Amino acid sequence: MNTKKTINTILLVISFIGLVFIFWWLRNDPTRSFKISEAGADNRGTADSAQVVNIGEIFREYETTYTELSETWPRFRGSDFDNISKSPVKLIDKFPAEGPKILWSVELGEGHSGAAIYNGLAYVLDYDEEKRADMLRCFSVVDGKEMWARGYSLNIKRNHGMSRTIPAVTDDYILTMGPMCHVMCLERETANLLWGLDVAKEYESEIPLWYTGQCPLIDDGKAIIATGGKALMVAIDCATGEKLWETPNPNNWLMSHSSVMPYTFGGRKMYVYSAIGGMVGIAADGDDAGKILWETPAWNHSVVAPSPVCMPDGKIFMTAGYGAGSMMLQLSENDNTYTIEPLYEYAPKDGLACEQQTAIFWNNHLFGILPKDGGALRNQMVCVSPSDTRKIIWSSGKEVRFGLGPYFMADGKLFILSDDGTLTIAKPGIDSYIQIDQVKVIENAHDAWAPFALANGYLIMRDSKTMVCIDLNV
Amino acid sequence: MEKENKAKNRREFLQSGVRLSLALALGSVSGLALSKAIKDDYVWQIDPFECTQCGRCATECVMNPSAVKCVHAYDLCGYCDLCGGYLKPDSNARTTAAENQLCPTAAIERKFIEEPYFEYHINEDLCIGCAKCVKGCTSFGNGSLHLQIIHDICLNCNDCSIARRCPSNAIKRVKASEAYNIKGDWSKPTT
Repeated sequence: MNTKKTINTILLVISFIGLVFIFWWLRNDPTRSFKISEAGADNRGTADSAQVVNIGEIFREYETTYTELSETWPRFRGSDFDNISKSPVKLIDKFPAEGPKILWSVELGEGHSGAAIYNGLAYVLDYDEEKRADMLRCFSVVDGKEMWARGYSLNIKRNHGMSRTIPAVTDDYILTMGPMCHVMCLERETANLLWGLDVAKEYESEIPLWYTGQCPLIDDGKAIIATGGKALMVAIDCATGEKLWETPNPNNWLMSHSSVMPYTFGGRKMYVYSAIGGMVGIAADGDDAGKILWETPAWNHSVVAPSPVCMPDGKIFMTAGYGAGSMMLQLSENDNTYTIEPLYEYAPKDGLACEQQTAIFWNNHLFGILPKDGGALRNQMVCVSPSDTRKIIWSSGKEVRFGLGPYFMADGKLFILSDDGTLTIAKPGIDSYIQIDQVKVIENAHDAWAPFALANGYLIMRDSKTMVCIDLNV
Repeated sequence: MEKENKAKNRREFLQSGVRLSLALALGSVSGLALSKAIKDDYVWQIDPFECTQCGRCATECVMNPSAVKCVHAYDLCGYCDLCGGYLKPDSNARTTAAENQLCPTAAIERKFIEEPYFEYHINEDLCIGCAKCVKGCTSFGNGSLHLQIIHDICLNCNDCSIARRCPSNAIKRVKASEAYNIKGDWSKPTT
């Protein structure tokens, strides 16, 4: 009897201990000391309130005479949007022993905006840090004399540079887009203001990180601006400032640093744009101008600086930095209906990728410089075939690395600018990288990222603070 | 008389001996203290310009968590909203939510300063020295985040287990009087 009682007591105690343990186990939360990381812990503030800007209000004239030149580099990536000069002017193969022939240099506000050249005048959008004004400055290409400047007062804080766009210039107009999305259109001959547009205010657009990088486009007398916000893209008559069409933006895609690229495919001219949210092709002319011909959300990254590279067979190469990598897309047309399909996508270490600059399509091959997260070939110039941009045909080698600076082709040569202001001349080819010469052009240079401009053998380039013009004529 | 002289000599001898011993002891202690004061010991430190952010500092150190921590050179930082050291590449949003943070232990604290600037602070207690943030900052930013061996944690092993495995030989002995290679203040010596 006692034994049975003892066993029952033991079982009762064990059951009680078991129940206590189960209760403890159910109540215990091993993660209770964890701190939850939620959005908002940084106390992010609201954006600065919009400034009242009187676009074009400031004008200063300095000189009236200059040496006219015959050639132009009228916009971002040149006349044909391909970053290849078609000029017959012969350029040097090697720099002189005493160094490059620097014609002039000028101090600019911190930024990465490049120049456009038109008949002997160079136009640069610059931020005047002292007077707190966004200024379009006009220089004589041959001697660097400043001719005039027009702009508007604007408060901007340093954010890895301020101005970073290139004006678009035609015989009649000059079009600029400033760091805070202010568009200014001038009459080219007189520098008189034609009209201005505050894109961020008018279209409720979000100003991209590190300010606007989209270079404006003039096409057939129309200013083409990818606005994001209430409209995806707009066309404005340069002469009058009248809005010709607005493309709706139902997906609320945002403005990127990428620029609008004109492209003719399947008999239609279109504007190709890589927004934050996706890619789009918009009819450029005809009755349906401004209508979306095709779109895809497949290419969507938080920061996109390079512009689309559109090839004759409908392939469109897109790349971006900050880990995004690249994508090849195929555009098809059937009975005036366009479809776009991604062919493949890859990380920056797995093929051609670029962080800021747009790849060059030349001789049916693509050329570009890999970003820092490009694996073993990081910062090297590489060549690939559009049939498969993941297969590297050649690279510049581990001893020849570059940065985020520009590269372009002229007179059958490849010019590459390193971040520190070193200019390299190479022989473009599809078999191997052949370096011809290299020279330091800007001493103590930093972040030399702005695209080149070339006309009549005069090359304009810059680092974050200094712009120089060098004579490359033979 | 002779006995007295002998006793006196012995006393003098003992007194001299004690004096000499004291002088020797004092001299030795002073010498030791002086040598300690002027001698510059060596400690292990990372050359941030050689570091390839391989991640081994987090796993090879005898200390757990590692004595290697991320440090921040504030004068090099761009104070960006989109920080490659704080946010995962192509993160969903630029917020402090866990899914957007690159650091596996949330050791980087982000604080809004004013539009468009954000400040980043390393919580040393949480940092495990994995170098994920350093890689992001080096690839997409100014490289202001970098790794250093923290000497009040480091045991200064004679045979540093991380130095043995460092693929870029970035860990070297440096003088204790110059124990840190902080970017900005310290630049790579030219050879």
